[in-house]
Amino acid sequence: METLVALSSGFAVAMTPYNLMWSALGVTIGTAIGVLPGIGPALTLALLLPVTYGLEPVSAFIMFAGIYYGAMYGGSTTAILLNTPGESGSIVTAIDGHAMARQGRGAQALATAAIGSFIAGTIATLALTFVAPLMVKLALLFGPAEYFALMVLALTTVTAVLGASLSRGLASLFFGLSLGLVGIDLQTGQARLTFGILELLDGIDTVIVAVGLFAIGETLYNAARYRFEKEEIYALKGSKWMGKEDWKRSWKPWLRGTALGFPIGALPAGGSEIPTFLSYLVEKRLSKHPEEFGKGAIEAVAGPEAANNASAAGTLAPLLSLGLPTSATAAIMLAAFQQYGLQPGPLLFDNNPDLVWGMIASLYIGNALLLLLNLPLVGLWVKLLVIPRPWLYAGILVFATLGAYTLNNNVVDLVILWIIGLLGFGMRVLDVPVAPCVVGLILGPLAEQQFRRALAISQGDPMVFFTHPLSLGLLITAALLVLVPVVLKARQNRREQDAQAQI
Amino acid sequence: MTTGRSLKIGEAGLGAAVLALGAFIAFETSQAPGAANAVVGPALFPYLISAGLILVGLALLREALTGHIAHAQGLELDGIAVVLVAVGLIIQMLLLETLGWIPASTILFMVVARAFGSRKIVKDAILGLALTAASFGLFNYGLDLNLPVGSVFEELMAEPDDAAE
Repeated sequence: METLVALSSGFAVAMTPYNLMWSALGVTIGTAIGVLPGIGPALTLALLLPVTYGLEPVSAFIMFAGIYYGAMYGGSTTAILLNTPGESGSIVTAIDGHAMARQGRGAQALATAAIGSFIAGTIATLALTFVAPLMVKLALLFGPAEYFALMVLALTTVTAVLGASLSRGLASLFFGLSLGLVGIDLQTGQARLTFGILELLDGIDTVIVAVGLFAIGETLYNAARYRFEKEEIYALKGSKWMGKEDWKRSWKPWLRGTALGFPIGALPAGGSEIPTFLSYLVEKRLSKHPEEFGKGAIEAVAGPEAANNASAAGTLAPLLSLGLPTSATAAIMLAAFQQYGLQPGPLLFDNNPDLVWGMIASLYIGNALLLLLNLPLVGLWVKLLVIPRPWLYAGILVFATLGAYTLNNNVVDLVILWIIGLLGFGMRVLDVPVAPCVVGLILGPLAEQQFRRALAISQGDPMVFFTHPLSLGLLITAALLVLVPVVLKARQNRREQDAQAQI
Repeated sequence: MTTGRSLKIGEAGLGAAVLALGAFIAFETSQAPGAANAVVGPALFPYLISAGLILVGLALLREALTGHIAHAQGLELDGIAVVLVAVGLIIQMLLLETLGWIPASTILFMVVARAFGSRKIVKDAILGLALTAASFGLFNYGLDLNLPVGSVFEELMAEPDDAAE
């Protein structure tokens, strides 16, 4: 099996002492920064990008892989102990996890999260090992029209699946798409929306937008809310280990969560909300103690955490094999690839097998390291949570500006960061989701390229997107994902109006 | 206290801003040279995106006017803190290349700490200095990046050589 051969050569790359060091470093820093409240995995990756500038790609991406998984673990620590989920995938964990913390069972919640993450991560990475090459084979069937339709699907799911308001999600998406327009059009060399500013010719960097929205915007929002929101942190009391009953109630949710998380994460559909919410519902249905849900049922932490990690691994499948980011975190990783001049996809597997397989191998290693590090070190991470907020946010901004400035050693980047930061604050206040903007920014130009290529090949015939069956199927799915919830909601509203009229 | 009503205005503002952005992009694109050349040229996507922006802007305006906004009961916001952070960032931007990374970012650190209510100015300054100096050392010497030293200091360091000539 060529996959196993490739994987073993990946291990050979990842297990050199040099790369092991980077993996360990990535896992540790990723967890440490992921633990900090207000910093989710996407921002952790964006902030730590500068650290990798001096490294060669293989080591850099091995470190990224470590940061990726580490940040996810750190995020669940914050969700459980502080009830402040740093990203959508931790929202569900926070419900029962924090309830457990309040009852003094925080250590058990963290333990089930850690072990579940390890199991889910390992199984999901195994699945990734086999699914990625399969997706590559599928990708070879894809022409520009299919790629474009796939990107439309990814964009619609990142936007539409986020509940709240469709128009706000679309506003965020289109804003991201507009930002992506800025710069030189690759196909004709024409400058668009640069207003004569030289620095804009290269376009607006995804990292700057991500850091601006996530770091600056969030900090501004937290500054605005600081006086009004009280934070409670629950100390870890009593035994640090899980009891027999805890293990008994956790192991099946771990496996079920993984089974839910990986496939959904691997689909070119965005978001870790679906797998985690689904896992919660499934565990509640199957649990022998459903009345405990919401009050600290350990299954409600075990399942969703496993689902979260599995879907994170799943997200890597379309990213590596198709170059398709389906979450803000994946978008940052894609930006990192682009900075090295690499384009994920079938070509990457061919031209840089060391990089890809080394990275996948390091996911296994990182996973194991995480378990080894985090169970004993949990006390240390908890100490990080007690950093006084003024210093925490001041430090976040110092590193945010450092990251933005060192991209090009240009103050203009800081200006853009500032503007985006203020916009991010506005978006937070008005409840406009941020992820569609980041994904739109990076996918927009790619989608446009494929769109124009498809039309060039079909010599201007726009029906090409509908005559190719794969493309048509993807576009219909995208349309349904947007329209069905709208129709359902409209029907529900009408039913409510009728019910009220009858009263 | 930011009331529900002002948030409604904010949402309407959002809708109007999105609308304006769409119109603006459409306008800019029409002014660009060579825009009318090919059907599938550099102007196609900007037009599509501005159409989308305009539609979404209208939808948002409708939502604001019919009242389906978030935080309808209002949201408490401390405006001064926000302004403080924003100003801190501006100061850093302005001073970064003249005074260098360490002073400029230390000021940023102190201003942001103040925005979050810290009154321990000296402690903030010391911590900020330590953090920015450590990051300077790490990134410039450990990772080979280039945080600015500051043109003021560069001149000071160059003077002894000039004076010796």
